[in-house]
Amino acid sequence: MTKKLVLIAVLVVVLIPWIVLGAIAHSGMSARIKPAAWEIWTATRLRSLAIPREQKMQKNPFSANDSLLKEAREHFADHCASCHANDGSGHTALGQGLSPQAPDMRLPATQSKSDRELYSIIHNGIRFSGMPAWGTDGKDNDSWKLVLFIRHLPQLTADEIQDMEKYNPKSDTERAEEQEEEDFLRGKSDPTPGNQ
Amino acid sequence: MRFVVSTIYMFLFLSALVFAHGNETHVMGTVTKVEDGSIVVKTKEGDKTVMVMSTTKFVKGTATVTQKDVRVGDRVVIHAMPMGDMLHATEVKIGTVTAAQHQH
Repeated sequence: MTKKLVLIAVLVVVLIPWIVLGAIAHSGMSARIKPAAWEIWTATRLRSLAIPREQKMQKNPFSANDSLLKEAREHFADHCASCHANDGSGHTALGQGLSPQAPDMRLPATQSKSDRELYSIIHNGIRFSGMPAWGTDGKDNDSWKLVLFIRHLPQLTADEIQDMEKYNPKSDTERAEEQEEEDFLRGKSDPTPGNQ
Repeated sequence: MRFVVSTIYMFLFLSALVFAHGNETHVMGTVTKVEDGSIVVKTKEGDKTVMVMSTTKFVKGTATVTQKDVRVGDRVVIHAMPMGDMLHATEVKIGTVTAAQHQH
């Protein structure tokens, strides 16, 4: 029994870290490398362990209605869409450049999580990923409302996505670029301008 | 026990400590060629070929359209991600006037 425990201890303390560090040294830390299956498995387990079992099935204290969904949609466009995209697909320059990449939140991998799991991810963030912790300590109503919006993502309409674009954060340079593009598309400037 | 397991996992997960940002390019010009999977755009710097993906979004004015609505002579603004030597379009905005209409 003691020999078995020693063997397990050696495996956990020496061998596994040695293999992992060797793999890191071999492949580097570039975000361009797709996370290995063991990284994804470990991250998923860690995220799950971070939420006490008794809290996992906690329901959202808010119920979806037009007013709350609009509020959450605008909040999402302002705070989340830079990485996750307005439609939740994760197809943005930032979202695709992260490692792991921002997930497509319309898919079952996200939609099958409990309300409390989604709330915890938003409120507490995820270590070793690009997901920051939002909100303040204690009850965080905005994060619960965002959970309502995440549930709505698979039914999001083109009109809703277009409306969200008004709330996406933009710098002065981006606004100027948008204006230049609009002018060009409406025929107000030279037909063969240069690239930006 | 849960704390011990979490600590071990945390240690093993260090390799995922990364951050990156994107590098989207905007291509503005007039369409000179439309093919399955690509669009050629005449810009001030010369012709640029942009690859079209299944996820590429096409917009004309406020309407969502498809690649079939892109025609030679159309003004376009393409948001694209460089991947190797290629440009992959994430969004193609089609002008409401063509280059020909603009010249008249």
